[in-house]
Amino acid sequence: MSITIALAGNPNCGKTTLFNDITGSKQHVGNWPGVTVDKKEGIYRKNRQVTILDLPGTYSLSPYSAEEIIARDYIVKEKPDAVINIVDGTSIERNLYLTLQIIETRIPLVIAVNMMDEVEAKGDVINCNKLSEIFGVPVIPIVARSGKGIKELMDAAIEIANAKKKPNYLDIFDDNISGAVERIAETLEDPKEEDRIWKAIKLVEGDSIVTDSLPENKKAFVAEMIKTAEKSADGDTEAKIADLRYKYITNTVKKAVKKGALDHAETKSDKLDRILTNRILAIPIFAAVMYLLFSFTFSENFLMIEGLPSPGIWLAGLVEAGWGTLTGWVESALVSLGASDWAFSLVIDGIMEGIGAVAGFLPLVLVMFLMLSFLEDSGYMARVAFVMDRLFRHLGLSGKSFIPLLMGFGCSVPALMASRTLDSDKDRRITMMITPFMSCGAKLPIYAMFAATLFADSNKTLIVFSIYMLGLVVAILSALILSKFVIKGETSSFIMELPQYRIPTGKSILIHGWEKVKGFAIKAGTIIFASTVLIWFLSSFNFNGMTDMENSFLAYIGNSFKVIFAPLGFADWRASVGVVTGWIAKENIVATFGQLFANIEDEAVLEAVMAGEEALPAIKDVFTTVTAFSYMAFNLLCMPCFAAVGAIKREMGSWKWTLRAVGFQMLVAYIVALLINVIGNLIF
Amino acid sequence: MSLAMVSLGETRRISEFTGKEDLKRHLQDLGFVKGEEVKVVGENPSGMILLVKGVRIALNRGLASKILVA
Repeated sequence: MSITIALAGNPNCGKTTLFNDITGSKQHVGNWPGVTVDKKEGIYRKNRQVTILDLPGTYSLSPYSAEEIIARDYIVKEKPDAVINIVDGTSIERNLYLTLQIIETRIPLVIAVNMMDEVEAKGDVINCNKLSEIFGVPVIPIVARSGKGIKELMDAAIEIANAKKKPNYLDIFDDNISGAVERIAETLEDPKEEDRIWKAIKLVEGDSIVTDSLPENKKAFVAEMIKTAEKSADGDTEAKIADLRYKYITNTVKKAVKKGALDHAETKSDKLDRILTNRILAIPIFAAVMYLLFSFTFSENFLMIEGLPSPGIWLAGLVEAGWGTLTGWVESALVSLGASDWAFSLVIDGIMEGIGAVAGFLPLVLVMFLMLSFLEDSGYMARVAFVMDRLFRHLGLSGKSFIPLLMGFGCSVPALMASRTLDSDKDRRITMMITPFMSCGAKLPIYAMFAATLFADSNKTLIVFSIYMLGLVVAILSALILSKFVIKGETSSFIMELPQYRIPTGKSILIHGWEKVKGFAIKAGTIIFASTVLIWFLSSFNFNGMTDMENSFLAYIGNSFKVIFAPLGFADWRASVGVVTGWIAKENIVATFGQLFANIEDEAVLEAVMAGEEALPAIKDVFTTVTAFSYMAFNLLCMPCFAAVGAIKREMGSWKWTLRAVGFQMLVAYIVALLINVIGNLIF
Repeated sequence: MSLAMVSLGETRRISEFTGKEDLKRHLQDLGFVKGEEVKVVGENPSGMILLVKGVRIALNRGLASKILVA
């Protein structure tokens, strides 16, 4: 018989790590609250009949932000066969608050007390048998990071699910509140008693979603009951209920947990926080971290050592050289097979040139992702969000918006999804509109291509850095304008749990990096491959058959866009085509340029291109340094790739807001590129 | 007095919250309940880091000023 088990717990309690252990899947784990913003499904690797669901982290079943609602709705409405509630043993009191609320739903439950290794290190002793006796559910100690206790946990969960065993009824509330709950439950019409009682508790708590779902004729009665209860609770039943739950927990913890001597001692995390969130040092340290991240990825003179390539640049050189050799082999193979002109052209000019252009930049993307995931996994991101809060408040945003924006340097799609953790519609909308202004990994190849071709060695890093900064500055100005004039409203308060710093496991970082690179490789193999073939066809044919590029379909199409882009300084038809193929995937621009600008007949040029010495000399005929900068800026800021637009649509939940966002991005891109072209030509 | 005025290293008890309902509920979910002890373990221009029920929680200054302590 197949069963479904849901994982629920506070944010950052180790749910996703446990999910990966149980299912053998490779979901990304970060050390900041809100990694799981959507529910994810997997299969227990030791029993294929068991489906596992990873729910977003939530502090309570009275949801506060959008992703918390997903968790609650699933537990209450869909009713899995059992819930595994993961409890962080190092902060057991706070974590049990959610546990009590899950017990109130009367769903079959198993409690997993996680981070037992850290609990022991702290000198605490948690008596799981005692907890089990009090709650009437199995309580299993585990260490999700090492996989300890997982087998026992799953056995217990499957047993509970099959037996449909419900938790104990806990005597948490006082007579007033229990009385009101009972009387309200009697008037409700849900078929099951446990649903009636759960709803009644939420009504007494003043839960707006449950109250709104009540039929009109019941509302008055419920309000009356709450008022009666309130009289004896000196004003506020909701606060009283929270208070009673915590009192119950305090008593339970007294019975089952022995606190060690180190309980209130300053931890290593506290010591680190005194430096990393220090009022003076915090921002300079963050700037230094970002600088290191960039120089690790792009620097030609790594660690200020003349001529030493950074790991990113070094790897990129290797891949480019490898691809050059491969292209050489394919070429000679084609010649010896006697391939026709068009077949040779398709394979070499189209496929090898197009995909090779993207493959060469893959290492840069990989290094960037590895660095970002190290920051995420360590717990530093949450601190940065906090440190940035003051600055962001001036922009009309909360510091929490910083996390999606920083993730935007990796890829806009997960970054846009992370905006779900923000606490107000205003924050969410503005953040989503400006997240694509962060230079994502796919835009990096565009800059690298222009930098290698048009700018002197000494300026390359500066050019790439300045385009990243341009994105940041435009994002800041946009946030200011949007929050002042377009999307008004109150900025949400900053409340964020700061997780303990952890040294990320190599496994976790590699999983993260591999997932991203795999994503890029799949893109290169599918849509980029398809569009290179399409571009090759459109640029090699017209109605009369095979022709030279200047008379092709593509030249015709590109030329019709010229008028629009001429004021921005790139009137060439190939540049226009690049903008359009960039919407399929931004790194596609490089593939397109590789195809349209490469002069394959010239062997010497081909070799130079492949060795990464001089990317595409033919670009020099069309772009100056000023128009190249304008072109980079336009592609950075204009509509992101379709995948990201899709993410905006999903998260905004409306076409109206999606179109507004894209329209805004187009407008900003045009204005900025125009300014760069006009002002740049005055100066240079 | 408000929590925002408590200095680094001091511990106080929460007496009241003067802000909006949904924020109050969220703070309660995180352990900020009446009578609970909070310790200020960090401070910077953004706000403060508080130790509540063994967990470190960062709040911006505006929010901290809405929490009254005794």
